[in-house]
Amino acid sequence: MSIKRRQVLAGSAAVGAASLASGLAAPAIAANEPIKIGYLPALTGPSSSTGVGINRGSELAVKEINDAGGINGRKIELIVRDTQSDPTKAVNGAAELTKRQKVSIVWGPLNSGESLAAVPLVARDKVPELHPCWVDSLTDPAKYPMCFRNAPTNQQIGGAANTYVVDVLKLKKVAVVSDTTGYGTASVEAYVPMLKAKGADVVYSGHIDAANPDLKPDMLRMRDAGAQVVMPWSVNAGFLSRLLNTRGDMNWDIPVVGQTTLGSGQTKALLTKPEYWNKVYSNNFRNVCFTKDGKLPARASEFVARLDKANIEMGDTLLWWIALGYDGIKLIADTIKAAGDKPDQITAYWNKLSNWPGVYGNITFTPQQHNGFQDAEVVMCEVNSLKKGAFNLAPGYAS
Amino acid sequence: MFESIVSYGLAVGAIYAMTGITYNVMFSASRVFSFTAGMLGMLGGVLGAYFILQLGLPAIVGLVLVLACGALLGVVTEIVTVRPVLKNIEQHLYVLSTLAFALLVQQLTAIEWGTEAQPFPRLIPIGQGWLDQQFWLPMLACAVTIAGLEFLYRRTLVGRAFVAIAEDSYAARALGLPEQRLRLASFALAGVIGALAGFTGAEMLLAFFGNQAILNFYGFVPVALGGMGSNRGAVVGGLALGLFQQAANFLVGGIFAAVAVFVVFIVVLLLRPEGLAGGAAARRV
Repeated sequence: MSIKRRQVLAGSAAVGAASLASGLAAPAIAANEPIKIGYLPALTGPSSSTGVGINRGSELAVKEINDAGGINGRKIELIVRDTQSDPTKAVNGAAELTKRQKVSIVWGPLNSGESLAAVPLVARDKVPELHPCWVDSLTDPAKYPMCFRNAPTNQQIGGAANTYVVDVLKLKKVAVVSDTTGYGTASVEAYVPMLKAKGADVVYSGHIDAANPDLKPDMLRMRDAGAQVVMPWSVNAGFLSRLLNTRGDMNWDIPVVGQTTLGSGQTKALLTKPEYWNKVYSNNFRNVCFTKDGKLPARASEFVARLDKANIEMGDTLLWWIALGYDGIKLIADTIKAAGDKPDQITAYWNKLSNWPGVYGNITFTPQQHNGFQDAEVVMCEVNSLKKGAFNLAPGYAS
Repeated sequence: MFESIVSYGLAVGAIYAMTGITYNVMFSASRVFSFTAGMLGMLGGVLGAYFILQLGLPAIVGLVLVLACGALLGVVTEIVTVRPVLKNIEQHLYVLSTLAFALLVQQLTAIEWGTEAQPFPRLIPIGQGWLDQQFWLPMLACAVTIAGLEFLYRRTLVGRAFVAIAEDSYAARALGLPEQRLRLASFALAGVIGALAGFTGAEMLLAFFGNQAILNFYGFVPVALGGMGSNRGAVVGGLALGLFQQAANFLVGGIFAAVAVFVVFIVVLLLRPEGLAGGAAARRV
């Protein structure tokens, strides 16, 4: 069948009339424009191991969504600015994304140091932002009404460790130590009162110079004070490994419970004996940990199968990083699909978001609470059980 | 406790002493206080771990390469940061130029090597507990260094030329000594000693870019305590500092041990500004 010029013109007139009748003022081409998502990962520099892991999940989500036709027919365009682990570059990247690129939303930065610098800037430009950083002050519905977090806060991280020590391990005499960094000292100040409120007896607390090669004096003081468990708060693998090595050399058979760096490959590499990693429990997340039967929860298991199919490397990273990156993009895409890509639409939708099912965790926001991660999903894991980027739940959890 | 104070104290003290000697060797030849001593120590550990663990080279080859790199960096330090500012030595520009070079190298190390501490291999698997290599190797290296320097300075012609430059560079030059080449050789020697300190101490301190600041400061203390230019003073000062630091670690603990070290350091300098082994310097008027 041939199409005549008159028929085309008649058809065009009909479409135009229909458009006017339905009140569609925007040009048709706008509906096909890609949705711009600004993305601020640290892909290089000293803090990049987290960013590289999260990036694998973020890229997979974008690929899956675009391969399936995009969001309501519009492709996602991920506009990436590598922060190079540098807060200054994160600020520059954020300004470019919000002012020049006019992105619909910003995903990241992925490290707290960079987010502390970038979040106020993105908020000032009235662009919605989702980030996974733990520092408590990085969400505030009053100061940053369009900023949301899809990961736990430091309070939740410390709270999970404290709950594990007091309620699961049933240990009351606790030593809480840190290095002398801002993160370390702030953690001790925050977590000691929380432990006391739970009925624990904090028999020793203090800060240790991480450069000191010999931690035996400090460990002897903890032992003499009657500590039944040591809780070190530090992201310094050298400090943590020295603490574990000293515990092993002293034959002091007590658990060590604390932050995720306890379970990092860098910490493991510095241990003088592999068995010094036994009875060490670090923070992790229920949805991406192996349960007692050695299986991942259904959602994570299905996700790992997709990662395998996509040939995404997991041996040099952690499952929760990849899942977190995947969830970040998926949550944004689901939101734009349901509510639209305007700042007010995204914010209004998220302020009512309830139990959004992610691989990493279920997310719930309210107008007063922009921290979406649930307390019960922050757990402790056995660090010496690392297998394909995931850990076993620490002993004592029901499932 | 006593065992731990002595083993750790003497081992750490030996590393501080060698870093102090590194300062001294550079200072003697140039009257420049080069803040690259900590950098050399840091690189001794990092490069050692790189050559032996990552490239899989035999330990002895790794050691030789580390010392060669130290010598090369010493030469580069002299050419890039010292020679240009020697004409205006009164302005103390060398503080900036040497520190800037050290920070540049440290940042490059952080980017290329990473900011996490990494392991250093146990080279000689004999001895347990306080007889472990991490304790006796730095002490042995310190003893070899001080004996070697004593021999060089007192028994060889080149060594005596070093001493002549250190005593009075103007007079030495007037006698026909090649001052510039001797200064270059001194910086290369300092590079070897600094890298040796870092290499032998790395099992204890780990291969870590952050060791630079620690060694820069704690290596400076023995020089101040022992008197500038005095290698014997640096050894005594370094070992005393290590023992005191470790004793304070046991007695007062935590971050207060570092405070105790600073207090003693300031008190000694107030009482004897020229150092425990130094003499009052004559000033040209």
